[in-house]
Amino acid sequence: MKTASQEAFSRPRQGQRINLAPHVAGVVILVILPAFLSSYIQSVMTRFLIFALFAMGYNLAFGCAGLISLGHAAYFGAGGYTIAVIKLHYGSDLFWVGAPLGILVATLVAAMFGIIALRVSGIYFLLVTFALGQLLYSVAWNVSWLNTPGMQGIAGLSLPTVGIAGFTLNTTSFYYLVLLVSLICFYLLFRITNSPFGRAIVGIREGEARMRSLGYNTWLYKYIAFVISGAFAGIAGVLFGYYNYLISPTHLGVGTSFLPMCMAIIGGAGTFLGPVIGAAVIIFVELFASIMTPERWPLILGGLFVLAIMFAREGIGVYLWRLWNKVSHHYGSTKN
Amino acid sequence: MEALRIKGLSKNFGGVSAVDNISFGVEIGERLVIIGPNGAGKTTLFNLINGQLPATSGRIYFLGKDITAMPTHSRAHLGQARAFQIISLFLNLSVLDNALLALHGTKPYRFKLFRPINHYKLISDKVQETLKELDLWEKKDELVKNLSYGEQRRMEIGLSLALQPKLLLLDEPSAGLTMEECSGIIDMIKNLGLDITVIIVDHDMDLVFGVAERIIVLHYGQIIADGAPEQIQADPRVKEIYLGIEE
Amino acid sequence: MEQFIINLLNGLSYGMVLFMIASGMSVVMGAMNIINLAHGVLYMIGGYVGWTIAVKFGAPFVLGLLAGGLAAGFTGLMLERGFLRHLYKQPNEQVLLTFGFVYILTNLSLWVWGGWPRMPFTAKFLSGSFEILGRAYPKARMATIIIGLVMAIVLWWLQDKTRVGSMVRAGMDNKEMAMGLGINMERVFALVFFVASFIAGLGGVLGAQLLGVYNTLGLEILLLALIVVIVGGVGSVQGALLGGILIGVIDAFGRALFPKLAMFTMYFTMIIILLVRPSGLLGRRV
Repeated sequence: MKTASQEAFSRPRQGQRINLAPHVAGVVILVILPAFLSSYIQSVMTRFLIFALFAMGYNLAFGCAGLISLGHAAYFGAGGYTIAVIKLHYGSDLFWVGAPLGILVATLVAAMFGIIALRVSGIYFLLVTFALGQLLYSVAWNVSWLNTPGMQGIAGLSLPTVGIAGFTLNTTSFYYLVLLVSLICFYLLFRITNSPFGRAIVGIREGEARMRSLGYNTWLYKYIAFVISGAFAGIAGVLFGYYNYLISPTHLGVGTSFLPMCMAIIGGAGTFLGPVIGAAVIIFVELFASIMTPERWPLILGGLFVLAIMFAREGIGVYLWRLWNKVSHHYGSTKN
Repeated sequence: MEALRIKGLSKNFGGVSAVDNISFGVEIGERLVIIGPNGAGKTTLFNLINGQLPATSGRIYFLGKDITAMPTHSRAHLGQARAFQIISLFLNLSVLDNALLALHGTKPYRFKLFRPINHYKLISDKVQETLKELDLWEKKDELVKNLSYGEQRRMEIGLSLALQPKLLLLDEPSAGLTMEECSGIIDMIKNLGLDITVIIVDHDMDLVFGVAERIIVLHYGQIIADGAPEQIQADPRVKEIYLGIEE
Repeated sequence: MEQFIINLLNGLSYGMVLFMIASGMSVVMGAMNIINLAHGVLYMIGGYVGWTIAVKFGAPFVLGLLAGGLAAGFTGLMLERGFLRHLYKQPNEQVLLTFGFVYILTNLSLWVWGGWPRMPFTAKFLSGSFEILGRAYPKARMATIIIGLVMAIVLWWLQDKTRVGSMVRAGMDNKEMAMGLGINMERVFALVFFVASFIAGLGGVLGAQLLGVYNTLGLEILLLALIVVIVGGVGSVQGALLGGILIGVIDAFGRALFPKLAMFTMYFTMIIILLVRPSGLLGRRV
């Protein structure tokens, strides 16, 4: 939310094509590299993309609109539970059925919760979203229809089928499916962010009273941003359900809700790709911790978060962006 | 048709009556200045007219329509524009972004989700034109907080004008400005067309008497004088509570 | 009829625990405009320390009560002095920071006390029951109700009738003005935070009589406190008391009449209040 971030936020100016290079390079790496790596790494990359998507969607509400939500796992989990329930009770694995339904359910939940939560603002909004997320957690825990008999949650999920006879997804092809979905979603989010709607959302964050005076129905904008953000969380949740083979109430609770916020802050909530960077950092450290000190992972996560808030509030993303700027300007000037 | 008609308007906070049973009308094209000591209820009155505060009782009519219960954003669509007492521009956004947001506010494409904001040529052209008139086009990528206070004030008023409102509400436009900057604002206001009604709250006597066709004096939420500038200057009650203190 | 009274008493005792938790949070919220999301963890630390003193070392329960309160109080103070103070003008960041500490402190507690739950414990003279209307009722629960009421009166007196209370309320309304009047707001904040955390710790030991102590208390208690604050309103002892009693009683009757619905009665109440009166029953307009 300072100079550099806002610059990174805005549409590329005429003639400045340099900005595109790191993004194109990033996409190329994501496409080509994993083909040469083990399926374990591919699985980690899949996890990274899923959470990057979750965090990016989350940031539309959090970073752009300034809506501090601590219950976004409700929409993430809703997506995951939808495909799980379809598998458990209707026996279908079909991606083209599960995914749209999952997104729909997540969006509906966000639409309902949004109306309740937007009755209040600021910190109270955080409290209410937290409580609503826990409500859904409670529901998933207690309603037997949402559980495989004998346990909490729904197990026995698997990678989806895509309706092509004789073709089943494996880790690698699922990675590419997730990559495709993620890239499409990132592109959509990019367009939304730079549209009049997206800019209005930022304006509302910066000064809601003035925006109202200018003619914007600020409640409606916040609500739509919230619901869209929930929809993207739902997409991530659908992919997560397939990836994780299991969905449980934990995935609706605050422990999961905390993650996209953490990623957005560590990576930079004011920049477009900040949450992706944050996701990379957290998934990577989580991997490390799970090998070295699995019981201390929450301590590490909390510690990283506290450090980010105290010392790097704009997020790592902003520093990287400034660094890139220095480098490319230097390169530009030596070229001349 | 009058631009504005206020009937029996009151606003109470707990036991305090910030605005106490006020009634008056404003003709289209009129230049009205409201003065009064601090705490007289001037900003509260603006908040009631513009919709930031709900009235406790009374009615407000704008261009013949009863807007008493209407939300602020709808009033903007009917043609109200307001500059706030404390500069309310988006300080952390660029001049360009501020202008784009201001000019999109009442346009239908403000809800568009997919095309980038500078795609809408009509608005982009208007933005360029406005910023050039304000001498701020060169600084379009500058963050507003880096502009001087005078530039910010000029920009806020200038953007309000670019919206071609029917009613312009200016809350202490001269606050914090130098003499030179202030006369710049006075000129801006004087150059406005007669289809715009202007209501100003201010303390600066140069501006008040330079611009006003009519002055209303508020004190403890009530109107104690209402008339042409010469009348007000001569009114002993006004001198006692307000102009007297000024000396 | 006796069952009704029993349910009512259960609701009141639980409600008193809720009140204690919520009052600390609510006052901090009102005075410093931040919500300490680690409040529930402070409750838990109080409970653990109380257990260590009263059960592990066998010391008198009252000592455990005091130790729990102090442990939570000092943990809270460290949080405020070491971290929150540096984020002075950024209330959003402060709140987020406290949430980070939920993770940190919960995990540290797990490290120190291990993952096994502690059973409810109480003072020797409070164990056992006495007769009410022909039924046995636990002394510990009764004591909790009484202590809760005493605390409510003390806190209300502090808030409304003392100089410190006025200073806090002045700071709530207008910080710069209060500072201009020579009130050292930094010290006032540190004090408020310490007292609020101390009360949370006390609540932890008192609540341990009913619920025991276990590792997931941090978030569970936070959730309860938030619901109470949302229902009762922010910033006043009265709001926390009303909210606590209301939620406690609704929960007790809910469990008795619709056992399947458990937590949902609370959520339901919260949602209704949010839709109808978002600032809470006794809260200042949000």
